[in-house]
Amino acid sequence: MRPRTSAVLITVVLLSIAVLIGCQNKGGGNTVKIGVITSLTGSQAAFGQAHKNGYTIALEELNAKGGINGKKVDLDFYDDQSKPDQAVQGVNKLVDQDHVPIILGSYSSESTRAIVPVVTAKQVPLIIPTAVADNIMATGSPWIFRLCAGSGDYAKATLDFLKNNGNPKNLAIVYESTNFGQSNFRSMSEAATAGGMNIVDTEAYQASSPDYKSLLQRVKGKNPDVVYFASYLLDATTLMRQSEQANFNPKYYTSAGTGFAVADFPTEKGAGKYANFTYSVAQWLPSASWAGSKEFDEKFFLLTKTHPSFHALEAYIALMVAAEAMKKNMTSPAAIRDEVRKTDMPTTPFGPIKFDAKGQNAHPTLVTQVQDQHYKVVWPPDAAEAKPIYPPPTWSQRKKSGEL
Amino acid sequence: MDWFYPFLQAVLNGMLTGSLYALIAMGMALIFGVMRIVNFAHGAFLMLGMYATWVMFEHAHINPYIGFIPTGVLLFIIGAAVYAGLVRHVPVQAEFMIILLTLGVSLICVDSILLIFGADYHQLNFPLLGKNLRLGSQISLNAPWVISFGIALLAAAGLYMFVMRTMFGRAARAIAQNPYSAPLMGINIHRVQAVTFGLGAAAAGIAGALLLPVFYLYPDVGHLFNLKSFLMVVMGGMGSIEGAAAAGLVLGVVESLTSLYWGNEWALVVDFVIFILVLSFKPSGIFGSQRA
Repeated sequence: MRPRTSAVLITVVLLSIAVLIGCQNKGGGNTVKIGVITSLTGSQAAFGQAHKNGYTIALEELNAKGGINGKKVDLDFYDDQSKPDQAVQGVNKLVDQDHVPIILGSYSSESTRAIVPVVTAKQVPLIIPTAVADNIMATGSPWIFRLCAGSGDYAKATLDFLKNNGNPKNLAIVYESTNFGQSNFRSMSEAATAGGMNIVDTEAYQASSPDYKSLLQRVKGKNPDVVYFASYLLDATTLMRQSEQANFNPKYYTSAGTGFAVADFPTEKGAGKYANFTYSVAQWLPSASWAGSKEFDEKFFLLTKTHPSFHALEAYIALMVAAEAMKKNMTSPAAIRDEVRKTDMPTTPFGPIKFDAKGQNAHPTLVTQVQDQHYKVVWPPDAAEAKPIYPPPTWSQRKKSGEL
Repeated sequence: MDWFYPFLQAVLNGMLTGSLYALIAMGMALIFGVMRIVNFAHGAFLMLGMYATWVMFEHAHINPYIGFIPTGVLLFIIGAAVYAGLVRHVPVQAEFMIILLTLGVSLICVDSILLIFGADYHQLNFPLLGKNLRLGSQISLNAPWVISFGIALLAAAGLYMFVMRTMFGRAARAIAQNPYSAPLMGINIHRVQAVTFGLGAAAAGIAGALLLPVFYLYPDVGHLFNLKSFLMVVMGGMGSIEGAAAAGLVLGVVESLTSLYWGNEWALVVDFVIFILVLSFKPSGIFGSQRA
């Protein structure tokens, strides 16, 4: 009796698996599915939302122009809830169940680093729009392509700017203890030491704490000329507000973009006036001179009533690059991968797109300063729209003058 | 004296944060003490409190330092309803069921908020946030933190008096001591437990309301405080509300001092080291010996 029961059971299981697989393959037809992983919920939802808006705009443009070779494009979103383990689940789901031939994402360096081995094992190309940690590209996976500049470029641009604007000597690095923060910390400390700066303090912190006052007090005690933050939005806001409470007045508040570079940061939804005078690296601004930047800004404004940060545009470009490759050959993920590698798009709103042997797009990095609650490019000189203001007035001067 | 002012500043900052921890932990300790339920929905109640306060501020311009009162009432009702509608139908012995149930309640709360308000984060902006109180030339305290501290202390003291000095509190403590003989003494066990659950939720809600001005909110924000409040409940002696309050204050100050002397990344490590030390050498908690 026993062997028979188990034989029946096994048959039933195998049959149902076969039926399931059969059902999914029917999806083909007249649409092309592209997988997207991003952080639609959780602490990085602000960025995931920016991604989603960028993808939406790209999708509408693509489908209005006839999709990919006449086939309608369909985006298959997976929300990683701002958690790396969920991003990995996302790859499994998108590849094994939905059979997408290419994936775009994720948002954070943490989640993106986690999915690189998985896409490599599953042999599906991954286009990375925003993750700046350099250990992602250091994996050497032949399946990944990154549009944005990395943490090494961030450190280099910031140091170039400082060297030519007052040449300060003492640097403190404050970073969240995640892949994004640590990667920026490593890049900055290597580049700064090589550039002859003294690193007087390095502080890792637990993200999303309500209280950083003691941390800032500690940094203040080391008396740095420059502080370099690597933080996401919510912490960037808390850090700037509490810098005032701790009366911490370095000559330069610099940062590795991200929380300090997102559109909400200098508005009342973020740090508001406390964001003034902070520097950030940026990959793109609506005022960038690349063709199509203005149109993207307008479309984004129509959709959301706000102006886009570079995260939204990077998502937009990721989908465009994927579509461009798939137009040429989409017979298999490997064929798409080879076409992505050959990408040569000389004019996009994000500048020219071309990947090197490692899959990295060479993208210039800008340095911006928040002036009167707006981002202004202050470096490099050929792109600058405003002069940097340094040293900024101290917090007590800013209170007295009525600015705060 | 160079070391003294930074030290004092860090201790004061730690007490400000610790007072909110204390209020959150007291709510959890109360529920655990009376019902032996580890309420995994506690962080979700805190989050609901933050959202309620935020909605009142955005739509009716009610200052959160007044808004915490209706928030507390609302969370009391929600807590009592969760007890009456769900928790009381699960047998007391089925601890695992209760854990799953409260986890489920937490998921429903978070996802409903996600559905209604979206995943976007929000924060309050009103002029008081930029005000600092200066004590001498060296010490400065942020006004909203100080006000939150004051209200948290009052709320904690009120909760303590209610449990220790009223007939209701006596009934609740009787249930904690012996849930089988308490009803024989004429105690309406379900009503008392509903009120207890409501009070626990209200404490979390009020803490949320007080945290809102100095923090930010998004649907999942509660999980940041779930583990920490459980930590404090255990350190305080599994159900002793004064113990949980003390543990909250201690953790706040310890975290602040750790940040100042060793760096913020060590704060959580030190929390857990203290936790393990307490468990190893005084397993009944800091105030554990007073209660069965």
